[in-house]
Amino acid sequence: MDINDKTLKALASAVKFREMRQEVISSNIANAETPGFKAKRLDFEEALARALDVDGQLTMKVNDPKHFDVGNGGFNNLKPEVYEDPNGVVSENGNTVDIQDEMAREAENKLMYDALIQMINKKLGMKKYILNSEK
Amino acid sequence: MAINSVSQMNQTLKNYDVSNWTRNIELKDDFDFRGQFSELSESSRSTKSFGDFLADSIGKVNQLQQNANVAMERVASGESKNLHETLLAIEKADLAFRQMNQIRMKVIDAYKEIMKMQM
Amino acid sequence: MDLLKSMKISASGMRANLKRTEVINSNIANAQTTRTAEGGPYRRKQAVFGSEPARDSFSEILEGEIDAHAQSVHVTEVVEDTKPPILKYDPHHPDANKDGYVAMPNINTMIEMADLLQAQRAYEANLKTLNVTKGMAQKALEIGR
Repeated sequence: MDINDKTLKALASAVKFREMRQEVISSNIANAETPGFKAKRLDFEEALARALDVDGQLTMKVNDPKHFDVGNGGFNNLKPEVYEDPNGVVSENGNTVDIQDEMAREAENKLMYDALIQMINKKLGMKKYILNSEK
Repeated sequence: MAINSVSQMNQTLKNYDVSNWTRNIELKDDFDFRGQFSELSESSRSTKSFGDFLADSIGKVNQLQQNANVAMERVASGESKNLHETLLAIEKADLAFRQMNQIRMKVIDAYKEIMKMQM
Repeated sequence: MDLLKSMKISASGMRANLKRTEVINSNIANAQTTRTAEGGPYRRKQAVFGSEPARDSFSEILEGEIDAHAQSVHVTEVVEDTKPPILKYDPHHPDANKDGYVAMPNINTMIEMADLLQAQRAYEANLKTLNVTKGMAQKALEIGR
């Protein structure tokens, strides 16, 4: 368990992205009746999966402590993809928001968010345990 | 047969000759104690030392941690929605590590104890 | 930061729907009003929603940063119905014209009730979302505890 914990960074990134997704969902729900408003989606899964894979396979081995750790920096530059849902059903005033769909997405987002926070706590708890048990 | 008189006692003693009580039992060749207990036999004595055993265990604990890390990364990237399995893997890694830490502390205590011994 | 913006967006949704409820209540209450300050019968009103980019701070507005993925909602205007009022034959009504017809507001109470229900449900959806966002923020506070 080293300080450059790739998993912890991945969890933190996922938490941040899910917060951003909550923004988009809130925006969709608030504008569920706004004429002409198109429902938006936020995707981060692909970008994050790619960052994780790259770190695993293509990270350069660092032998000299003076060499930079090239792989892990990839987490700081991840950007999510925000786009209008192309499959939205257009209602008579041009609005494509389906409130039931948005509520379902929100529920899933919250559940995964809670799980991620719990995992972060577990990891931090382990680090604290190690620090406390040094004799 | 209850013993009610001296004559009966003599009769009993004659029936069971004292010399019979202490007769040499010869060990038969095929009744080899050493073969019965595999830990004592030469051939199956383990060649691993305690140090190797510890190193193996540390490797297993590390493997469990790696499994937990991979599971968490897969949840973070949305690839896996299998929360209960992930949390189970994390708990396993947690418990294994704490157990190993306890063993480590005990080994260190034992070492210190030995070093305290004055020669 | 992001979660606070979400809460502001949900709050804007609640506010807009509350305003809409007000307008619908006004319609229902005035379904029989034949005299208004502007003269003539009450005209049906409708609240029109519009979205605008949710801006967090004054500095963001200054820099013109438009974060297009998060839009808050507000009532852009309250439009009055331009359709002519319904003429009802009622010669004994104090506001009847010379032919005995009274100009009544063209408000269909059934439609207004349906709109009211919809506005209420939308309000509740925004409220639920607000609570979910609040829950996320509280969970985040538990990190490391």
